[in-house]
Amino acid sequence: MLLGIKELDAGYGDVQVLWGLNLKVEEKQIVALVGSNGAGKSTLLKVISGLMRPYRGQILFRGEDITRTPPKEIVRKGIVHVPEGRRLFPQMTVEENLVMGAFRRRKDKDIRPELARVYELFPRLKERRLQKAGSLSGGEQQMCAIARGLMSDPRLLIIDEMSLGLAPVIVDDLVEILKEINSRGTAILLVEQDVQLALSNSHYGYVVATGRLVMEGPSEELLQSKEIKEAYLGM
Amino acid sequence: MLAQIVINGILKGGLYALMAMGMSLIWGVMDIINIAHGSFIMLGAFTTYWLFTLLGIDPFVSLIFSISILFVIGYGIQKYLINLIIRASAFITLILAFGIEIFINNAALVAWTADVRKVKVAYGASNFSLGDWVTIPTVRLLAFMLVIVIGTIFFFILNRTDLGRSIRSTAQDLDAAQLVGVDVARTYALTFGLGVGAAGAAGTLWSILFPISPMMGGILTLKSFVVVIIGGLGSMLGPILGGLTLGVAEAMGSTWFGSTYENLISFTILVLVLILRPKGILGGAD
Ligand SMILES: Nc1ncnc2c1ncn2[C@@H]1O[C@H](COP(=O)(O)OP(=O)(O)OP(=O)(O)O)[C@@H](O)[C@H]1O
Ligand SMILES: [Mg+2]
Repeated sequence: MLLGIKELDAGYGDVQVLWGLNLKVEEKQIVALVGSNGAGKSTLLKVISGLMRPYRGQILFRGEDITRTPPKEIVRKGIVHVPEGRRLFPQMTVEENLVMGAFRRRKDKDIRPELARVYELFPRLKERRLQKAGSLSGGEQQMCAIARGLMSDPRLLIIDEMSLGLAPVIVDDLVEILKEINSRGTAILLVEQDVQLALSNSHYGYVVATGRLVMEGPSEELLQSKEIKEAYLGM
Repeated sequence: MLAQIVINGILKGGLYALMAMGMSLIWGVMDIINIAHGSFIMLGAFTTYWLFTLLGIDPFVSLIFSISILFVIGYGIQKYLINLIIRASAFITLILAFGIEIFINNAALVAWTADVRKVKVAYGASNFSLGDWVTIPTVRLLAFMLVIVIGTIFFFILNRTDLGRSIRSTAQDLDAAQLVGVDVARTYALTFGLGVGAAGAAGTLWSILFPISPMMGGILTLKSFVVVIIGGLGSMLGPILGGLTLGVAEAMGSTWFGSTYENLISFTILVLVLILRPKGILGGAD
């Protein structure tokens, strides 16, 4: 097991958002986490990456308890969280953003091979490497956000709402790139409101509603299930 | 005549720029309006005064000490005080900075009395002429050149070092900076240290050119504030442009209306800028 979440309770001050959540990601898997607006998906990701502390529960990564580890250590251990809304450094160039992605490891390692690998995955970014990140198109910003995440060579890549606001063709491209990244050995946790997209491009899926886990299973089975079809796919 | 006034204004404006650089950095990165900024300038000035008076250390040499001492003070204040409440509203940090200001000023009053003092260096009165019209006091030119050197170092730190990258990323997106692994608490402490260290440098240069006293800080905070507003937040060009503007405007105003109006001029400019260009002359970065 790569990532294991056990009985997690979390929230903002007195407002509890997550209730006894359990979730697992195996090595080299693509796992989908779906649910409607306000279900608590982004909150869970903030807890995993250390931006928020949970009330209760445990997070294990490669057998190690990382429940109250600060974000900078989490990154070093190999979890990268590409946040909702891209969140690039707008006044920095594309390349500076990518270099920032390797912030935790630049001292011990030459990052040029990483940079070359990322540019090979996203040739568009190479063309725009000297452009300010704030002036990129939505699709390019999402590419840059994913690429920045890859710069720290993660074992687990978590992407929040990748498809939001992007044209279908661009989303298709990004999905292909995610599969390529996954085939090179990186596990991916794909967090989406677009249930169809997430479940048809993952191995395993979890469904949350108002902070509770309501369903889980192999993604194909979830896609076929009556409840999912009715509640999320409008069929 | 006009050339002389403009040159006087530029020389003083350089010092204003240095004063504002520290305030602008702290404001832009952490959203703290550091009311105590002028008090740190005062501490820098007194560091130089005492090193000169007691140990005979040349004021220009004492820059190294005032910058280092104030850097450490700033780092400590952020790490052990402001970081504890940084998630609270901007109003709370404002109150805390206000408290720090009152504390520093009163401690300085108790320690050094309200006397106005002067650093009297032997070369203080020397000057040289350019053509028939312009006379330049040597210390002022020297101070101006040091402002350029310190500004360049500042620019280098912000744009070419890991610390600078941490600072800029934190300023641009706090969460994203944490997610790539920047230690935000440490970055904040170093940022405050840098800003206050720059105030220390400004204090040293101020003490060479003007009389000093424990209560000098208030008006300097206000002038730094005016300069930051004139230039706008978000780049180093802002304080430089704002400082030179204020310096020249004050020099012209006090020549034409008399030096009692000097402070009125800065606040007139402040009001005008707020009405006409609320994001500063440069228009702000966002
Ligand atoms: N900073 C915050 N302070 C207080 N409540 C918050 C905060 N952020 C989110 N919430 C609340 O927590 C709940 C879960 O929000 P979260 O962003 O985790 O949902 P989500 O599943 O990611 O939704 P979406 O699909 O819209 O991104 C919501 O009810 C939201 O209002
Ligand atoms: Mg969300």
